[in-house]
Amino acid sequence: MKLTCKRYLSLITCLALLSLLVPLGFAVNSNEAAEAVNQAAADLGSAFAAVAEAEQAGANISALMAKLDVAGVFLTQAQSALRTGDYENAVSFAHACSDAIEGMVADAAHLKLTTEKAQADSFLLATIGSSVGLVLLCVFGFMGWKLLKKWYLSRLMDMKPEIRDVAE
Amino acid sequence: MNCADVKLAYMLSCIVLSLIILSPTLAHVVSFPEGEKFSELWILGPNRMAEGYPFNVSAGVPHRIYLGVGNHLGKLAYYKVYVKLRNQSEPLPNSTAGVPSPLEPIHEFHVFLADNATWEREISFSFEQVSFNGNVCRIGGLMFDGHYAAVDKVAVWDAERNGFFIQLFFELWLYNADISDFEFHNRHVNLWFNMSTVP
Repeated sequence: MKLTCKRYLSLITCLALLSLLVPLGFAVNSNEAAEAVNQAAADLGSAFAAVAEAEQAGANISALMAKLDVAGVFLTQAQSALRTGDYENAVSFAHACSDAIEGMVADAAHLKLTTEKAQADSFLLATIGSSVGLVLLCVFGFMGWKLLKKWYLSRLMDMKPEIRDVAE
Repeated sequence: MNCADVKLAYMLSCIVLSLIILSPTLAHVVSFPEGEKFSELWILGPNRMAEGYPFNVSAGVPHRIYLGVGNHLGKLAYYKVYVKLRNQSEPLPNSTAGVPSPLEPIHEFHVFLADNATWEREISFSFEQVSFNGNVCRIGGLMFDGHYAAVDKVAVWDAERNGFFIQLFFELWLYNADISDFEFHNRHVNLWFNMSTVP
């Protein structure tokens, strides 16, 4: 009987100690929360820089902008939670921010490359077209000038007064 | 019309035609001068006009304003708006030196704006845990845009203006991709409040 009681007592003590330790194992401290929020802020900054470069190249970044806006809201919530000491929510929002912009740097870089290539092709086409156009203009312009000059001189000749009789 | 005039007219026509033919190439190469680059930061009253700003406030009474940011920098911009609270003795940002206020922000907004775009947000706020003790008013907290911030500000009675004055101000910061950090964009707007006991 005594042994059974002792066993139950030790079991209850172990369970009580475990119940104290489990929350400690999963609780987020302020350093972890601050680190998560700072990382999310850094990720968002990098994503913005990549999107800004794509925009400078002339890409359509409206879809990427929408993701940035969503990530910005999450980061605002994360910062707010961090300030109020709600570390678990701070980490949660920080992760949501990072998830919202996952892969955005690569997408923006790809978009920038695609746009730059398209612009280079467009410039090449425009240059070739303009060169051909200028050559044609020179050729037809020269020929046109010759024809115009001929027509002008023939008209001028037609306007010469005729000498009929010399008065004595 | 003599031959020289005809020749001149013909050459001018050819020059105009050549410019038209060259225009697609010139469009890629020539960049037109851009206008002035700047950002905007503003506060509007509860009716979205530059009037009717809250001034006499008391504990627990909500007030509404509109905070706005405009981008005219000619490119995509990433702004951060810091919300700060000060009493009469604490420093504002120094616009001359371009230095922000050293006070800690109580809230912030992250805003991404394309060129010529604007962002405007309705904000509701109220002062909480306000107590008066002689010529000192202590403000424990500020409920701002649905978030509670413990501010613990003390406003001393201003005998000249007859009131306990506290100021809410907003600083505009701009992300600089070169340094991967925000810089104070030398713009701030503020609102003075007179804390009264009577709602």
